[in-house]
Amino acid sequence: MLTYTLRKLLMLIPMLLVITFLIYVGLELTPGDAVSFMVGPDALANMSPERLNELRDALGLNDPFIVRYFRWLGRALQGDFGYSLTSGVPIKTIVFSRLPATLELSIAALIVSTILGSILGMISALRKGSVLDVSLTVAGMVGVSIPQFFFALVSILIFSFNLGWLPSGGRTLPGYTTFLDRLPHLVMPALVLGATMTAGVMRYSRASMLDALSKDYIKTARSKGLPEWRVNLMHGFRVALTPVVVLVGFRLPMLIGGSVVVEQIFQWPGIGKEFVAAVRGQNLPLVMMIALFTVAAVLIASFLVDLVTALLDPRIRLE
Amino acid sequence: MSRTASRLDRKMDLLKMQEKEGLLKSKEGSRAVGKFIQNKLALIGLVVFAVILLSSIFAPLLTKYDPAMIDLRARLSPPSWEHLFGTDKLGRDVFARVLYGGRISILVGFGGALGAALVGVSLGTYAGYKGGWLDKILLRVSEIFMAFPQIILVLLLVSLLGQSLWNLLVIFTITGWGSVYRMARSQMLSIREEEYVQALKAFGLSDAIIAYKHMLPNALGPIMVNLTLSTAMFILEETALSFLGLGVPLHIPTWGNILNAAQDLTILQEAWWIWVPVGLVISAFVLSINFVGDGLRDSADPTQQG
Amino acid sequence: MDTILTVDNLHINFYTNNRCNEAVRGVSFQLKKGRTLCLVGESGCGKSVTASSIMRLLPPLSRIEEGEIIYHTDQGDLRLHELDPNGPEIRSIRGAEIAMIFQDPMTALNPVYTVGFQIREAFMYHTKMAAAAMKEKAVELLRSMRIPAPEQRVNEYIHQYSGGMRQRAMIAMAMACNPQILIADEPTTALDVTVQAQIFDLMNDLQREHNAAILLITHDMGVVAELAHDVVVMYMGDAVENGPVEEILTKPAHPYTSALLRSIPVLGQSKSQKLEPIRGSTPDPYNRPKGCQFRPRCDFATEKCLQDPETFDVSADHTVKCWHWEKVLANA
Repeated sequence: MLTYTLRKLLMLIPMLLVITFLIYVGLELTPGDAVSFMVGPDALANMSPERLNELRDALGLNDPFIVRYFRWLGRALQGDFGYSLTSGVPIKTIVFSRLPATLELSIAALIVSTILGSILGMISALRKGSVLDVSLTVAGMVGVSIPQFFFALVSILIFSFNLGWLPSGGRTLPGYTTFLDRLPHLVMPALVLGATMTAGVMRYSRASMLDALSKDYIKTARSKGLPEWRVNLMHGFRVALTPVVVLVGFRLPMLIGGSVVVEQIFQWPGIGKEFVAAVRGQNLPLVMMIALFTVAAVLIASFLVDLVTALLDPRIRLE
Repeated sequence: MSRTASRLDRKMDLLKMQEKEGLLKSKEGSRAVGKFIQNKLALIGLVVFAVILLSSIFAPLLTKYDPAMIDLRARLSPPSWEHLFGTDKLGRDVFARVLYGGRISILVGFGGALGAALVGVSLGTYAGYKGGWLDKILLRVSEIFMAFPQIILVLLLVSLLGQSLWNLLVIFTITGWGSVYRMARSQMLSIREEEYVQALKAFGLSDAIIAYKHMLPNALGPIMVNLTLSTAMFILEETALSFLGLGVPLHIPTWGNILNAAQDLTILQEAWWIWVPVGLVISAFVLSINFVGDGLRDSADPTQQG
Repeated sequence: MDTILTVDNLHINFYTNNRCNEAVRGVSFQLKKGRTLCLVGESGCGKSVTASSIMRLLPPLSRIEEGEIIYHTDQGDLRLHELDPNGPEIRSIRGAEIAMIFQDPMTALNPVYTVGFQIREAFMYHTKMAAAAMKEKAVELLRSMRIPAPEQRVNEYIHQYSGGMRQRAMIAMAMACNPQILIADEPTTALDVTVQAQIFDLMNDLQREHNAAILLITHDMGVVAELAHDVVVMYMGDAVENGPVEEILTKPAHPYTSALLRSIPVLGQSKSQKLEPIRGSTPDPYNRPKGCQFRPRCDFATEKCLQDPETFDVSADHTVKCWHWEKVLANA
């Protein structure tokens, strides 16, 4: 198990190096450099090319590309991610202030969709061919086909404007302190964000469960005289769970990507909303760094999923 | 439980009787085609798909309005016989915009999927057959592309390359080729072991000819299924991007751009006709593609019989 | 001798793919205490279906159409074919009174649980043992199956076992509650020959110790000669011949049995023996021949064979379903 973990962890490093390199190439493509931030545009226009070059030398901007990359990487590892082009605020500050909101939303959506999706898929498989199974299958298909933002808009129209049950946006109101206060704000975005994922997990867990149920060990379990619930849950579902967890890991990027749109619609003050604003405002350093953070988040999450998979399946763990 | 059991029993009795009278015959003809036709959802999907596609292509025959024509006297009018889906903030006919918008959205979705498939399949076919360092490098590269959440990568590229219809097609190709590559590659890996490939090698045929001319046709089934399903995915992505105002430039009508109007809370609340119909059309279209794709997959998959 | 299980005129149909397939068409036999009965036939002849039906483990789209399966206990007869396949009565019999082992232990044991856990599961629903006692008993069972280092092996997973050990673990699980009847569905097909012999030894020992009845499903005439006391030969869902092993092997009265015997090599006769494959091929179950199912492949076939053959008594406990059984006997 330990070697497995270490091996998986080691595999992350070259991946992250290449991705940070690509991101840095993107940053270098951005018009303007550090000098143009330090010196106002008027002063820049009047500055002699020699003076400009001196400044760039002093800042190390004339060093070879690869040297600049590693210097940048070193700074990034120490927590210096550069500054937002529009506000001049350190990117680190922006990201950390937005992170809790995004984590709250994504984790809520992840939990809801994984639990709901796998249970519905299991029920669907156990009742294969029944009216319930067919309706769930069609509902799952609809779930992956409706554009997420359209689903969000319809929910806002119905539950906020027509019924007035839930707030249409935002994460909190003045005076709200506890999580329970804020919960109504979380419900709709989390459900909308989780809907596509739920549908995907459901379809997959149905297939996985059907596969598990067709295995010989199910018959063995029955032949031991075990009750149906135990056969289905402990032998069927338990085995079917591993591929479902793998799928959840595989779909995590989609969930994080989806939060970009959902945060925008529900005015959820998270990283996704910040990202859209950065793209709209051509704030390339911020765009690049947020992209880098999401990739890092995805890689770390899939690493965790790998660990969970190994815990679930002794064949992987004991390899 | 007893009710369902007795229904099952009745069905069994019926089958038993029919079998005795020799009514049941083994099905003739192509099993795949037969299975596709038996799949009601796939058939319905095909019909819906065709209707929406044809209405977009023949848009000028179905509406007299120009989707870009501004009529400030008829702003925000609800649906009527004059304007089937009403008009938007600038008095443009929403029905016409949905029809014409379909052209661009479908084009972008299909074009993106096709571009990704062309790049992914041509690389995957050769690298999957040859293996070695080329395959290893491409596999790593595709992994890096797939580590990015798709929409993040797309938006990043949008902010680097700028916003245009053509750029969007390029971006979809860049972001989509990875998964196609992996699929084509895994198909080739299994076909590579077949004996006819060994025979062709023994004849001294060139690698490219073996890979593209003799092996690729045998992998086309899953590739076509993938093409259909990724068309659906790219249509969803275009609409999401345009909804955010970051996809196709706003002056070109697309399904996403029409929905963009719903970011305005008053329109969202009071002018439902601007965004609900087009949302339903997108959902129906994507749903129909998914049903067809699933039907194709099931009919091509010999492991799922019955 | 005590009969423990009677199967009488059993008919089972399968209804998959919207067709009706008569998988078992009138099988009768009696299983006796301390004896081994072999159900023999080629794949698809209905032998595994028959075995599964005894424990009511048939798949959803299949049904017992007619016939009886009766389990004779000290408290009286239990009519297994009438029980609800998901009900508590049959569950209390499964694993406790009748146990089953399968062809491939690698797929028949759950990969995500330890072998010990899967053995203990059998105790959980049939005994009132404490957890510690269950653990101990599981180790003891593995030891009695001659699995080395059972204290350690009990906590391992099936993929960590070797081929022969897997099947022994499977048998340990089946024997956990000392069943009266052990159904073994091709238990050694997936194993190599030396391991096969060990498994058979083990089953013989178990039978002697517990006086259990064994129903062995096989396609291998060598296994039949080795282990069986009684034999039922099946072809296309019919039990074509039924009798004690010596009679079946030496005086086959059904053309299929005799053809089967002539088609397999016998150890020690390798040079002089002439192998004759059975001509033709097994018919499509959805497009069955009229009358006797073996007719298209049979050397003795006549007009008469277009009618379903009746059951004839060859001797007191030897029956055959063939119009021409006397000719077959005379010809041998």
